[in-house]
Amino acid sequence: MADPVIRALTELVRGPVMEGAAVPAEFRSNFGHIVDARPLALLRPASVDDVIEAIRFARANGLHVATRGAAHSQSHLGVSDGGILLDMTSLGRCLRVDGDALTIDVEGGAIWRNVVEATISELLVPPVLTNNLNVTVGGTLSIAGIGVASFRHGTQGDQVAELDVVTGEGELVTCAPDRDADLYWSVISGLGQVGVIVRARLRLRRAKRMTRTYYLLYDDTARFFQDAKRAMDDGRWDHIESWTSPCPQGTKPVNGRRQVFARWFYPVHLTVEFEPGAPPDDRAMLDGYRPYEVLYTDDLPLFDFLDRLAPVFDLWKRGGTWEHVHPWMESVLPWETAPAMIEALMPDLPPSILVGGHVLLWPAKGNSSRSRLFMRPAGEDLMGFGLLPAVPPRFWEEAKPMIDVASRLSVAMGGKRYLSGFVAFTPDEWREHFGPQWAPFVAAKRRWDPDGVLNPGFVPLTGGAAEER
Amino acid sequence: MPVLFGSREWCEALLTAVNGSSEYRNAGATWGVGFNGNLLFAFEVGDGLVAPLYLLLRLGGGRCDSAEFVVGPGHPESGFTLRAPFPVWRDILERRTLAAAAILTGKMKVEGDTIALLRHAGANRALIHCTASVKTEFRSPS
Repeated sequence: MADPVIRALTELVRGPVMEGAAVPAEFRSNFGHIVDARPLALLRPASVDDVIEAIRFARANGLHVATRGAAHSQSHLGVSDGGILLDMTSLGRCLRVDGDALTIDVEGGAIWRNVVEATISELLVPPVLTNNLNVTVGGTLSIAGIGVASFRHGTQGDQVAELDVVTGEGELVTCAPDRDADLYWSVISGLGQVGVIVRARLRLRRAKRMTRTYYLLYDDTARFFQDAKRAMDDGRWDHIESWTSPCPQGTKPVNGRRQVFARWFYPVHLTVEFEPGAPPDDRAMLDGYRPYEVLYTDDLPLFDFLDRLAPVFDLWKRGGTWEHVHPWMESVLPWETAPAMIEALMPDLPPSILVGGHVLLWPAKGNSSRSRLFMRPAGEDLMGFGLLPAVPPRFWEEAKPMIDVASRLSVAMGGKRYLSGFVAFTPDEWREHFGPQWAPFVAAKRRWDPDGVLNPGFVPLTGGAAEER
Repeated sequence: MPVLFGSREWCEALLTAVNGSSEYRNAGATWGVGFNGNLLFAFEVGDGLVAPLYLLLRLGGGRCDSAEFVVGPGHPESGFTLRAPFPVWRDILERRTLAAAAILTGKMKVEGDTIALLRHAGANRALIHCTASVKTEFRSPS
């Protein structure tokens, strides 16, 4: 190992250290496949002490530290340009389930699939699970963590009882909503800016063994919104999932070029949990709903439901689109402007956007989250909108302005971007995004990461943009 | 043969292009229905345009009833005004920039209900496309 800095780091930690040139290519980017970053070194920490030592070492040597979980992000997260990249999946154990307190302790690099596998035998599950179970606890808590039960339980970040965090000063601190709350709420949805999550005590809820999902299809935007609100409010459902789905109609000119266009419909999947032998009353469950058609009713064991998208992701991987560029544009919109956003974008969207991707809609309740840094519009009812394409690399430059317009349009409509996706904000746009939380966020960064060691290059909390105000 | 930007012939060519466009007829079917959909394009000076030009398009239900250059900077018949320096307009008309991007980045100012304009993004994009499709000679009319 030639580099003396890396040699010195190697002597401080127990986990393996890999020098930049030897780091596998997959660690130079993330799921977005947009960024190409080259770390000075890759460390797979063997313990929390390794995380502490790495941060202290970086601080003393003027280096940055970036944290990487499953790297499902798409902008400059989970990668490092010239710094130390911590592969947190090496700290991925589920530690202890407490069936009385309804909690589980896990390491920051644990993936949600393993959390569910550790708890489901006792019919306990995290209240909110992301659609992809192969992402890490530390990763999603740093963004927010949204799923099909978020309308009821908020974000994954709202379902944490306690965290162990290594701050940017290399100190291990235990924090919770009622203990070092400022640190806690700066870590939740904090984009890894003030600390590294090394342990989380996650809340669990009691679940039932089976699920029944009703596949409803809507052909009318207004009626879809009416029933989405009904589904959030009537207390019948444990999970709500919806998106848009195209029926191709032929070609039409868009900007003078003929392209395939579609009539977009709204599938809505409403799911209720039940015990075997006590299935729900279908008629009662759907009473009052006015879909174009009820297409299908599906019973699944709970785990299979929670893991329902695994075959889709597997298909994307086998089809090669997993390796495409993923400039996902996700935004939380005010209920009032969401229909306008959908009707502005969808008519000219080619159905091919669904090859290796999808367009998600997730009805949400703004008051279901207490997170300070998970920015969302004011109002009780919100609609998440996710334009999630897989763009062949050769078309990325062509697609980029359209993604940019969609992002800006969502902001103009009063929306707030969900930050796990592709975000290319200017410094002013970052400040606008966080609004009244910007100053506290900058202050938290200065307090817990005074040298700006952690996860630079995404949100401009250090340097010009933050300092000048 | 290119027609001179700012001339009456250019307006006639634009009117023909809009009303001959199935893209605009469909995308603009609900534009100007129940509200004033007349657009004023305000081309402000720059890039060879020495005096501002104001183009009023009377639009509704997927048709353009008239296109004419009028006295600006505003017009009582317009429901919306899109105002930008001429270089920004040229970038849009020569397809280097999307009109929606120019609006959303503040390079083009909207006078009127921006949300209504963005809600009909397809109609307005089709209109811009029709405008861009007119073979144009860009030099300042004297």
